[in-house]
Amino acid sequence: MIGLWLCAVILVLAGCTGSSSNEKTKTLTLWYWNRSLDDGLLKAVEQQFPGIRIDAQKIGGDFKSKLKTTLAAGSGGPDIVAFNDWVTELFASSDRFYDLYELGAAEIEDDFLDWKWQLGVTPEGTMIALPIDTGPTALYYRADLFEQAGLPSDPEEVHRMLSTWEDYFEAGVQLQQHFGGSVKLTDNISNIYNQINAQSETIYFDRDEEFIGESSASSMRSAWDLAVKASELGLLANANTSSSEWNAAINNGRIASFVGAVWMKEILQQAAPDTTGNWKVARAPGGDGNNGGSFLAIMKSSEYPQEAFEVIKWIQSPDNQIQTFNNINLFPSAKAALEAESMHVEEPFFGGQATGEIFTESARNVKPAYFGAKYANINGIVTRELSMVALQGKNSEKAWEDALNRVKKELLR
Amino acid sequence: MNRPVEPSPMPPHQAEATNSRNNRRLMSTIWKHRKEYLAISPFYILFAIFGLFPIGFSMFLSFQKWDGISEMSFNGLKNYQFMLTDPEFWRAVSNTLLIWIYSTIPMLFFALIIAFLLHASFMRFRTFFRIGYFLPNVTSLVAVAIVFGTVFSNNYGLLNYVLSLVGLESVEWLNKTWGIQLAISVMIIWRWVGYNAIIYLAGLQSIPSVLYEAAKIDGASGLQAFFRITIPCLRPIILFTVITSTIGGMQIFTEPQVLVGNDGGVSGGGLTIVLYLYREAFVNNYFGYGAAVGWGMFILIALFSILNWRMVQGNSSNH
Amino acid sequence: MFTRKSFVLYLGLTIGLLLSIFPFYWLVVMATRTTSDIYSYPPKLWFGPHLFDNISRVMASIDFFGAFLNTLFVASACTILVLFFDSLAGFTFAKFDFPGRKWLFIVLLATMMAPAQLSLVPSFVIMATFGWVGTFKALIIPGMVNAFGIFWIRQYAQESIPSELLDAGKIDGCGFFRLYWNVALPILRPALSFLAAFTFIGVWNDYLWPLIILNDESKFTLQVALASLNGIYTTDYAMVIAGTLLAVIPLIVLFLFVSKQFISDIAAGAIKS
Repeated sequence: MIGLWLCAVILVLAGCTGSSSNEKTKTLTLWYWNRSLDDGLLKAVEQQFPGIRIDAQKIGGDFKSKLKTTLAAGSGGPDIVAFNDWVTELFASSDRFYDLYELGAAEIEDDFLDWKWQLGVTPEGTMIALPIDTGPTALYYRADLFEQAGLPSDPEEVHRMLSTWEDYFEAGVQLQQHFGGSVKLTDNISNIYNQINAQSETIYFDRDEEFIGESSASSMRSAWDLAVKASELGLLANANTSSSEWNAAINNGRIASFVGAVWMKEILQQAAPDTTGNWKVARAPGGDGNNGGSFLAIMKSSEYPQEAFEVIKWIQSPDNQIQTFNNINLFPSAKAALEAESMHVEEPFFGGQATGEIFTESARNVKPAYFGAKYANINGIVTRELSMVALQGKNSEKAWEDALNRVKKELLR
Repeated sequence: MNRPVEPSPMPPHQAEATNSRNNRRLMSTIWKHRKEYLAISPFYILFAIFGLFPIGFSMFLSFQKWDGISEMSFNGLKNYQFMLTDPEFWRAVSNTLLIWIYSTIPMLFFALIIAFLLHASFMRFRTFFRIGYFLPNVTSLVAVAIVFGTVFSNNYGLLNYVLSLVGLESVEWLNKTWGIQLAISVMIIWRWVGYNAIIYLAGLQSIPSVLYEAAKIDGASGLQAFFRITIPCLRPIILFTVITSTIGGMQIFTEPQVLVGNDGGVSGGGLTIVLYLYREAFVNNYFGYGAAVGWGMFILIALFSILNWRMVQGNSSNH
Repeated sequence: MFTRKSFVLYLGLTIGLLLSIFPFYWLVVMATRTTSDIYSYPPKLWFGPHLFDNISRVMASIDFFGAFLNTLFVASACTILVLFFDSLAGFTFAKFDFPGRKWLFIVLLATMMAPAQLSLVPSFVIMATFGWVGTFKALIIPGMVNAFGIFWIRQYAQESIPSELLDAGKIDGCGFFRLYWNVALPILRPALSFLAAFTFIGVWNDYLWPLIILNDESKFTLQVALASLNGIYTTDYAMVIAGTLLAVIPLIVLFLFVSKQFISDIAAGAIKS
């Protein structure tokens, strides 16, 4: 009987254990999420580097929490791992990653946009993450609706006339009067707040990790006030970003514009096939900013850090960035790649506009910012309170106080 | 320990001898039954590793500050203090209770009605109806949440369309606290009415018909028979369903997580306790805190189970 | 021959049934439509022609078949192990006397009260220590024996296995395990089939634990794959719906096969507890 007992257990276990690795080839395990790297390029790595095998694992679900819980587990992590814009949250555990400067990153530093490069360097000067793509922001708008409402519709003119958020809101009031409530200027309160902060150099923390949200240098309060103003003027469709509600509202023409990063282009085109040709892109009100964009890091547990570095260096070379841009639309972080011809390709979805030109300009003007280890938690608290202002009619001063109190509690945890 | 040693009834050396003889006898009976022990052992081994140990470990963890990455450090009662003073925790508690009330009461009510209807009818299609009513219960929660998401959608929802057909204004269900809670409750009701109805039906069928006949002879009306016979006979079963739906209701997670995300929706109306625990531990990586929230939830469930029990017990003493 | 009373009965039952079935109908309708159709207002209430397009896009964007096989593997492994261990223990508790039997059984019943969520964080830490995070082991092994099943089998075995039969078996020289395998198991079959369906459905639909444990998309179970399909950056809603339909169908088919017995067993189980 014991035999059967064990047989049953072993049978199950045998079904799940992985295969042992070959001695000669060096296997590099890579963790990334769907569309954070070009799958075609990853396949090409093994031809480029004979003797190296890439075990590329697409991690689904909440990538950040999966990565952090793996770090918590202490073992069994990958060699190379992709980070999103929450890279600063990992500065506190920078000892778990290789300092890329020690592996030769300084040589290629000049190839990259400086503000993007600096996002992967800790305040102590160790570099834990190499840039993948960037997320320069701009204003996406329905040129047809703008025109019908008597607003400028040419990207140049839109940029000149709607250069501040106040101008933009004013135009929104005019637009909504014209359509009598069936069209809203933009999507939701959190997006306005986030986009204003994305244009700023100082948000919640300085480089000593001190909370500066209440100082005048921070954009936190002004972003809050502007976001609340948009809500008070009734300019919001209250459709949450990256939800099916948003997709439906965009496709049904309920939303006339939104400020978003370059990677929203892909989402917009898929979400709103019924509005093809009507959209245009202009430089955003309030200035250029960056929202999102990811990185690659090498974990200390890796046996082959130098090989891993050569691989990621190759994947992120300017030429390969252009190829990635052409294949899956990831916007480059290498300066040379911004000069590529693909940036001038006209796009039918945007009525023949070459939106790459706008985003290139935006990417060059982004200011270097420091986010801080608790950015995501803090931002979550603030935007939750903002949503209550927009959706539940919560008093905005009360919400601000509640948000600050909760933030201060969070900082003490 | 200052406890006085109890006086032994026998001289010490004699007691020892008896003890060891008893022990030996016990060991040999146990050895004789070793196959039986082996046969039941897997459960106890597994429970020790995956049930008992985690409970003790979570007690330990709940006093630690641990983000999962850096070293654990002793945190005293800080986690509990944070929990009790965090408005979002209390929101999660009240959300959970509201959803539980919105769902359990209509659910059990409809289940009773369906059970009575099924019981009263002598139909050929009874099996067919039972399967139809039970089907929602085997459907995965993820799928249910996705489908109900399209019913309650603000922009393209079926429900808003139905409202417009009868001339009512459309509602942004998923942007409102109560709207999200209603949507979640409807999902729970839909999934569990049939299940509970089947259980009530079995209860109804187990009531001996002699009781009703006797009541008829005594001149009792149908309604009297219902309150004097049916309800008292069903009481243990109702208690069972109330307790299972309480335990289930306190653990709601999948419906809000799939419907409105880790924050419980833009207005936070779907932030239940388990979702809060999941977010704090596995998204924000406060593992020690997550363990503390687990204990908070345990106490809440225990309190409610006792309350339920008292309520049903109290009713029976009134009759 | 409808009397007024039976008319009301049938009307009530039919309305209830329609409400119960409607979401399935609605799921199928949406799965045959394009994303634009689903978002359109007023909604389209009848079937469209796009079912196969949608399904083929599901297949292209996630490894649906892989997730299906993963789920099938995990659910089957769990079910087989549960059947074996639970029936062995349940049979032993029902038909054998040994020191501490009563006491051990009370402990077993008490463990059913232990709250699962309490141990969510520590269980994860244990899995991490074993190096089981991201593997099916973490899904199968903790669930391979459970108190409910042992309880269920014990009740059934007490009622249905005559002690004379076991005595006869012993006289014929059957050992403990032979008695279990050759005498008890055939008699326990009805109870086992319920336990199998119950376990299989439960594991198939499990979401929170696999969501925490599984990392690599190629190891996802259907529920986690489905949720990630519905997650962030997905714009192809028709595909999500088609995927939902595909994930729901296997269980409904399974359920229809076992439904009649399953439903009465559920009721019987509740009344016994």
